[in-house]
Amino acid sequence: MRLPEGARPVSLGQDGPDVLTVAWSHGHAGRHRVRDLRLACRCAQCVDEWTNQPRLSPDTVPLDVRPVRIEPVGLYGLSIEWSDGHSTGIYTFETLADLCQCDSCLPAGARP
Amino acid sequence: MVSNEQVLSALRAVQDPDLHKDVVTLGFVKDLVVRDGKVSLRLELTTPACPVKDELKAQAERVVRALPGVTGVEVSLSASVKAPRPAGAILPGVKNVVAVASGKGGVGKSTVAANIALALADDGATVGLLDADIYGPSMPTMFGTRARPQPAGEKSIHPVYAQGLKLMSIGFLVDPDTPMVWRGPMVHGALSQFLEQVEWGQLDYLIVDMPPGTGDAQLTLTQRAPLAGAVIVTTPQEVSLVDARKGLKMFEQVKVPLLGIVENMAYFACDGCGKEHDLFRRGGGRRTAEALGVPFLGEVPIEAEVVLAGDEGVPIVRRAPQSLAAQALRHVAREVARQLAMRAAAATEAPPLASMAWKA
Repeated sequence: MRLPEGARPVSLGQDGPDVLTVAWSHGHAGRHRVRDLRLACRCAQCVDEWTNQPRLSPDTVPLDVRPVRIEPVGLYGLSIEWSDGHSTGIYTFETLADLCQCDSCLPAGARP
Repeated sequence: MVSNEQVLSALRAVQDPDLHKDVVTLGFVKDLVVRDGKVSLRLELTTPACPVKDELKAQAERVVRALPGVTGVEVSLSASVKAPRPAGAILPGVKNVVAVASGKGGVGKSTVAANIALALADDGATVGLLDADIYGPSMPTMFGTRARPQPAGEKSIHPVYAQGLKLMSIGFLVDPDTPMVWRGPMVHGALSQFLEQVEWGQLDYLIVDMPPGTGDAQLTLTQRAPLAGAVIVTTPQEVSLVDARKGLKMFEQVKVPLLGIVENMAYFACDGCGKEHDLFRRGGGRRTAEALGVPFLGEVPIEAEVVLAGDEGVPIVRRAPQSLAAQALRHVAREVARQLAMRAAAATEAPPLASMAWKA
């Protein structure tokens, strides 16, 4: 999803054990498989700051990884504390929008 | 006989120049009483530092007096400051948190922040000032106080009260000669405590004097504090403007609205002849503001008395209110209040996102 100027999440929700729902201010109903969010973490522990090479190996992330807590970060993002102990990532609203897996963002079959 | 309806209908001709609506539609008219041709009312503005409050009052008096049958008009002013969004968990009693920042040091940011805070308080607002410059706190000197913050319960402290402001600075907590040899996480911890463990109470404005640059402390504040907006202070030179642009970009990245740019040390007004000398290519701040499409909040001249006032603990808007610099700073403060009021009036924002616990 391309994020319109000023758009931001207004509320977060849970759909089943492993889907995060995001209600956006412009009406978009975002959905994310939580493990996919964990794998997409762009923090310095997961992506090398200098080379941009991935440092996180997907095999090391438990299949049943879940958020423990989700916190807003300022006016621009979210941070997620994960059940695997990871907590240093910030998902900016743009990143979150890029990663959206709702019906209109993803082709059928890839949807959570 | 004059009726309330006639008075209200006359007042519809009085427009707020910033909100582009009339004072009746905006709900500014309070306590309207019409008795025997005598009209009294109160205009409740959205900030006591409204730059056009005297004009609004004069206009209201004029249109009401023009009504046939009116023999006397009394218009008083009050203000109720609006917040840009409903309160969240951090600083819940503070309506507008404003960051005063610069791309680099030495542009007079702390002086501008302190004087904005005092000017807003002089206009009748309740104001706090947070010195977020952990490595180089300046507020104890500027306000001439070394008071120790008093404990408030087990986990929090009261701010220091000085010159009508609530103040907090690391300078109140450590010896002034002790250098703060701290790594980022300690700065982060101290600033988080200033936001969450200081009893700021109810404030119309909390002015945050940011440290120079775009580092750890700035990130902490943009991540933790519910900022209503940021003001960038610059000097007219090119190198300072390049830095100011970086500051602007930083706030853009973290979605903090830019209230505008202040050009400090814009020119030197000779105390002998009054001639204005442009020491550093005046106008750079204005040009940058125009280029970036953000408001220009004003230019502040260099005056020896500004520095003297800061060093002696009574900032210039109090020490020499009629000086050119004080007038300029008062203008800047009112422009800041005006930008905030315009944004709050246009805001339809939901409260900040609440944190969420995942259910297994």
